This record gives sequence, structure tokens and C-alpha cells, in this order.
Amino acid sequence: MKDIIVSMENISKSFPGVKALDNVKFELCSGEVMALLGENGAGKSTLMKILSGVYTRDGGRLEIFGKEYGDLTPKQAQEAGVAIIHQELNMCKHLSVAENMFLGRELSGRFALDNAGMEAKAREVLDDLKIDIDPRQTVGDLPVSKQQMVEIAKALSINARILIMDEPTSALTAREIEDLFRIIHKLKDDGCGIVYISHRLEELQHIVDRVTIMRDGQYITSMDFAGTPMDQIITHMVGREIKEKFPRVECEKGKKVFEVKNLNAGRMVRDINFSVYEGEIVGFAGLMGAGRTETTRAIFGADPKESGEIYVDGKEVKIHCPMDAIRNGVVLAPEDRKKDGLCTKLSIRHNLALPNLDMLCNKLGAVSSKKESELCDKAVKNLKIKTPNVEIDSGNLSGGNQQKVVVGKWLARDSRVVIFDEPTRGIDVGAKVEIYNLMNELKQQGIAVMFVSSEMPEVMGIADRIVVMCDGRITGEVMARETTQSEILTLATSFEDKNINSR
Amino acid sequence: MNSNRQSLWKRIMGVRGMGAALTAFVGLVIIYIAFGLINPTVFSGQNILNLLRSMSKYLLIGIAQSYVLITGNIDLSIGTQVGMSAMISATLMTSGISPAVAILVALISCLAVGVINGYLVGKFKLPPFIATLGTMFVTRGIAYMVNGNRNTDAISTGVGKEVADQFQNFFYYGSTLGVYNTFWIAMVVFVIFFFFLSKTRSGRHIYAIGSNIDAAKLSGVNVVMTTTKAYLVSSVCSCIVGLILCAQAGMGNMEAGNMYEMYGVAAGVIGGVSPLGGTGILLGTLAGAAVWQTLENGLNMIGAQVGIQRLVIGIIVVTAVLLDVVVRNGEFGKKKKKQS
Repeated sequence: MKDIIVSMENISKSFPGVKALDNVKFELCSGEVMALLGENGAGKSTLMKILSGVYTRDGGRLEIFGKEYGDLTPKQAQEAGVAIIHQELNMCKHLSVAENMFLGRELSGRFALDNAGMEAKAREVLDDLKIDIDPRQTVGDLPVSKQQMVEIAKALSINARILIMDEPTSALTAREIEDLFRIIHKLKDDGCGIVYISHRLEELQHIVDRVTIMRDGQYITSMDFAGTPMDQIITHMVGREIKEKFPRVECEKGKKVFEVKNLNAGRMVRDINFSVYEGEIVGFAGLMGAGRTETTRAIFGADPKESGEIYVDGKEVKIHCPMDAIRNGVVLAPEDRKKDGLCTKLSIRHNLALPNLDMLCNKLGAVSSKKESELCDKAVKNLKIKTPNVEIDSGNLSGGNQQKVVVGKWLARDSRVVIFDEPTRGIDVGAKVEIYNLMNELKQQGIAVMFVSSEMPEVMGIADRIVVMCDGRITGEVMARETTQSEILTLATSFEDKNINSR
Repeated sequence: MNSNRQSLWKRIMGVRGMGAALTAFVGLVIIYIAFGLINPTVFSGQNILNLLRSMSKYLLIGIAQSYVLITGNIDLSIGTQVGMSAMISATLMTSGISPAVAILVALISCLAVGVINGYLVGKFKLPPFIATLGTMFVTRGIAYMVNGNRNTDAISTGVGKEVADQFQNFFYYGSTLGVYNTFWIAMVVFVIFFFFLSKTRSGRHIYAIGSNIDAAKLSGVNVVMTTTKAYLVSSVCSCIVGLILCAQAGMGNMEAGNMYEMYGVAAGVIGGVSPLGGTGILLGTLAGAAVWQTLENGLNMIGAQVGIQRLVIGIIVVTAVLLDVVVRNGEFGKKKKKQS
């Protein structure tokens, strides 16, 4: 008989301005693998952070092994047997395997650490899992897959009975995934409960017993995995109406403005080919980590390319660094505004002027404050940046206005191609519409617009054509008005067949 | 027999940071022999003794800075703590207070600075560069103030010639088993802190927070305590060097220890301690301090000027780190890892 070991009911959690979880239910039994599924931002990670004590919930009941917990701290969660295997591995890379496993609870003799004892115990746990790792090896020298197994072994050595794995296979090869699945099967047989979060739906069949599906911070359903068709799962994952209004503008499709051929840059950008025509917005859809941001950065010259040709207005341009891109009329409004988009401690004025200083300087190289002011006034007026004046720090603006400054940097130039990477992330609905309108304006001016977004409704509502990426490759191209969310999601999860063998 | 030796060799090389430390030792031998071939006096017994004594100061400073570097921080107040320790102990002795009490007061003052450094960096999360820049100025200020903005008189004027000689012999001029006491003091300190860093729980935690502070915290490591311990070790070593300088001069000099924190960085870095934290062993620091002093001594012996000495040391420090960076980034192709 399988016991219920985790029971969460009516869990709610709000962050400023966002309701991340709304009356969510979750249940885990011993000896089962539960897949937690949902689109980006569905609330999966938030829910699991509540279970592991990283976040405190606003409301709802939480029981672990039949014991009810109020405000759960990470330490209590650990003592209750909950462990997260993080997406980004959390290890001291300079220390050895055994040292990491016993960090913070070292065994010690009277004077010195009992290294031999710790190594022996570490070896026991590793052998038990049939993992072939020497406990004396330095963690940083191990491949990612082995590091992950060390993390699992560490969790088990603290008697974890509930393991949460967040995208554990994203960095693994087929062989390594097989190894991981073998271990998961073993843990399951030992009676552990495992929560498995993954976007790779095709790998679920090898390990998963049940699925819980979440959408927009709400619990949708749970069911046995066996016998449920994949289509039904996808429908549950996306099944929402497009509620927001998207101001689409119709334009005549003109000549080809921008073309990328055979672009390669590392694992996340593989053989990328696409083009953008006058009068259209090309959306880039995909799951997080699909390689879209990497593609934009490679095009813009922020990251090195291995190969590939880029054409603007039919002429090939060589882009080795962002300055080359800017000179050739290709500009990027990057994903992370605060990190890559703005110098948050500089004024709006200085931010707007930064990439345009070549145009603002007189012959001696001094910045003309008159020209600078003109440029700023124009940008503030055109983009409706809400600010008392342009001298205040750009970091003090709201998200939407920050985004406008990021875009405003580029509008003074005669750009031919504007790349938007997640321009509407974290900004309110009103500001979103303003950004959409701005993209439409560019489109009407005959500028090629490349629009990367993880929010499917807005890609479908704003873009004319959608390129879907998965795992560093383009897996499909669809016309926005003829496609469905399911079709895009299917393309976005069509990983290369890695020939995974089940046990 | 042969296989036995091999496994011992393997075990030695298996210690993290041993590679860099041994490289520094090899460099040391080469430098030493090269200078000796130019000027055979380098090989003379008296020169070796002098070398060991001058090296000892830099070893202590190196230990001080290495501990802090391994936690991923830096201590800019080492040199000024040296000065403060020298001035406090000298001032007390010139007013007739016994050396034992003077040493104790100097030690307590330095430990207080260590605690402040540890809390500013560990608890209040100040950038270590800024936090210890502040304590650097404060401690130098104190060094000036203890004796009213001037150097002290000879300590014998207070405690008398006999006691002063005892103090000076203990820390600097006397010998035991034919080697200057300064060397033995440094060796005792070295062995204690070597053990503390490599064999105890606190030592392990010092590596852990330098390697990945978040992972360490999530594993239950007390970051504030661990940071403070590293800064306290730094203060203890600085204090001892201050006493050595006081004994050497027989008086307190307000500018004693000037720039020592940077010499500490150099000794550590040459021996393979990463300024980014998490790696390095004190054996490397020992080699680093020795390389430094051998260079200075050798260049002196062949008649090179101070300017050249500084210049060479600067190049050696940068080269040592550059080599480390190049090897780590796999520019040599050997350790190249595929980005996955």
C-alpha cells in the first residue's frame, strides 16, 4: 500500500503584483514518481520552493509524512526529509565529493577531521546507488551529470525521502539520462517519493507514474500517466483562451530585409536559418533555455559565432562585436533589462545617449549637450516615457519605462533590424500594449522586427510568422494566424531523439 | 617497493593545490641555484640563515593573507596591524611594562581588528576591499596615536637592557639549534595553521565559503563565524610579525609593516592560492614566501638595485596568476572542457 507522504491543499502565494499560486493542491505518495507539468510561469517552481521551505506560503495546509507544518524553514524541510536537486547545481566545486556530501556536518575525531571515515561513508552511499565515483575526486573536475548524482547522493545521505528534481536532464547526454533514470527507479523501489519537473514530455514515459498539471498558478488536474494520451496532457497545459487584446496591424509584406544563414554558436545555437521581410514581425517561440536568447546574442555579436552569414538588405555584413552590428543597423533590446539593457546607476539621458555618442559628438570628440537633449526629448516624447525629467537614474523607473529606455536607445539610429528579447517580461498590461504598438510602428516603417517571447499568447497575437526553437535548433515555422498553441508547444518540445532506453 | 613509492607520490599529488605548490618549489630551487651560480656567496651558511629569517616574516604575512584569500575575501589591514602591534608593544615596554603584558595587549588589539573585519565582511556583507580599507586606515591611525605621533625610544629605556635583550633575542637575534628563532616561530605558527586549515572542520568551512558561499550556507555552514575565523588567523599572524619587527629594531616604528598586505597577496598567489577563493594550500604560501625572499636576496647579492627587485617580483606575480588562468581556461588544450 502506498502512503501519502506529501499533501498540500489550498496553497496560495502572492508576490508584489502577481498571484503566483492560487489554491493549489498537490499530493505525493511514497514509491512514486510524480511529474509536475506546466508552461513557464505556471507556478511549479514556486510550489516546490514552498515545499522545501525556501518560500513561505500565504495560506493553505501542508503536511509531510502526516505531520502538519506551519511556516516551514529550509532546515525543517530538510529534517522532514525534503531535498531539492537544483537546476543550477549547488556544490563547492573546489572540494571533493566526500567533502561536499558532508559539508556542514563533518565527522571529526578529537583533533582532526575524520577524512577516512567520511570517505568510507560517502563510498557506501555511492555504491548503494551503483554510482561509479571516487569520493576523493574534486567535484569541479566531474562532468555535470556526475555532479548531479553527487547531489542526489548528498541528499540521500541526509536521509531525504522526498526528492524534488527540477529539469534534471537538461544538461545530460542520453547515456547519462539512462544512468539517472536507473537511480530514480532504485529510489522509487526504496520507497522515496520523487517530484519530477521537466519540459521534455517524451522522456516522462520512462519513469513517471502520475502527473499533476498546473497552469497560471492554478491546479488543473492530476492523473495516472499510463493510458493518458500526450495530446490530452498538452491540452491541459495550454488550454486557455487568449484573453488579452493584441493590437495587430496589417502591412503589405515587402522585400527581404534580414537573413541569417547557417548560424552556429555553441550547443544552444545550431544551424539557424531564417529571414525577416519588410512589414512583418517574426516571433520566436520556445521554452526557456531553447536557445533563443543565445541566438539573438550571437547575431548581435555579443557572443562569438562558429559559423554563419548575416545579410541586411541583401548585402552580407560581418558582425564580430556589437559595434559591427550597430553600424550595420542591427540592434538588440536584450532580455535582462537591469543586467544587459541599462546602466541602472546612470541617468536616463546618459543611457539614451550611450550607443549614439558617435552622432552626438562634435569634431573635437566632446558630447554636444544640445544634440543630446534633442535626442532625449524625442525619445521621451515618442515612447511616452513617464518621468519628471531625463536626469533621474534609469534604475528608479518602473519596468515598463525602463524597457522603453532600452528601446529608445536604438530609435535615434536608422536601424534596419530591431531584435526584442522578452520585451514585456515583468511589465504591466498597459506598458505591454505600448511596447506592442511600438513594434507595430517599426513594422509599418519597413523595419525588420524579431520578437522573442516565452508568452505564447502574445507571440501569436503580435507576430505575423513564428519560428519555434527547441534545444538550440529551429524545429518549425508557422504562420501566426493558422497555428494553435498545441502545435507550437509540440514543436517547442520536439527534442532530438536521444534513444533513451528504459530499465 | 616501486609501486609503494608510486602510490605515495599519487597520494601527495592527489592533495588539491599541491601541483601549484610544488611548481613554486621547483621555481624556488631553480632561482636559488641560478643566483648561486652567479654569486657563490648565496650558498654560504650565513646567507642561508639570513634568508630563512627574512623569509619567516613573509611566510607569516603570507599565511595571514592566504587564509582570507581562500575565503574569497582580502585583508588590506594586515600591514597596518603589523604596525599597530609593533607600536603598542614598543610603547608599553618603553614605559616599563613587562614584554609578556605588552605582547598580550598587542595581541588583543589585533584580534579586535580581526573580529571587526570578520563581522563587516561576513555579517554586514561589506565588500572586503572597502571594509578592510577602512580598518587599514584606522589601525595605522592608532599606530600613530599610541605614542603621540612619533616613533618610540629604544625599549631598553623602559624595561632595562636585560629584559630588552631577552625580548629581542626571543623574536629576532637569538638562535636555537643554529637557526634564528624567527624561523622557528614562523614554523610553529605554520604547522598550527596548516593543521587548522587542512584537518579541521573550520578549515574545511573556510574552503567551502570561498568556493561557493551559497552552497556552504545551504549546507549549514556558519558564514559569519567562518569569515571571522579567517580574519582572526590573519590578525594573529600580523601581530606576531609586528612583535618581530619591534624586536628587530629594538623600538617601535609607526610605519612598520607598510605594504605587507600586498606582500602577503604576492606570497600566496605565487604559491597557488587563488584570489578568487576556494583553492590553495599553505605549503604553496611557504614556497611563495621563499621564492620572494630568494629573489630579493639573490638580486641583492648580485648587486641589482631595489628598483629591479620590485620590477622582477611584479612580473613573477603576474606570470604566476597568468599561468594559472591560462591552464584553467584550457588554453593549452590539455584541460579543455566542452561547454555543455
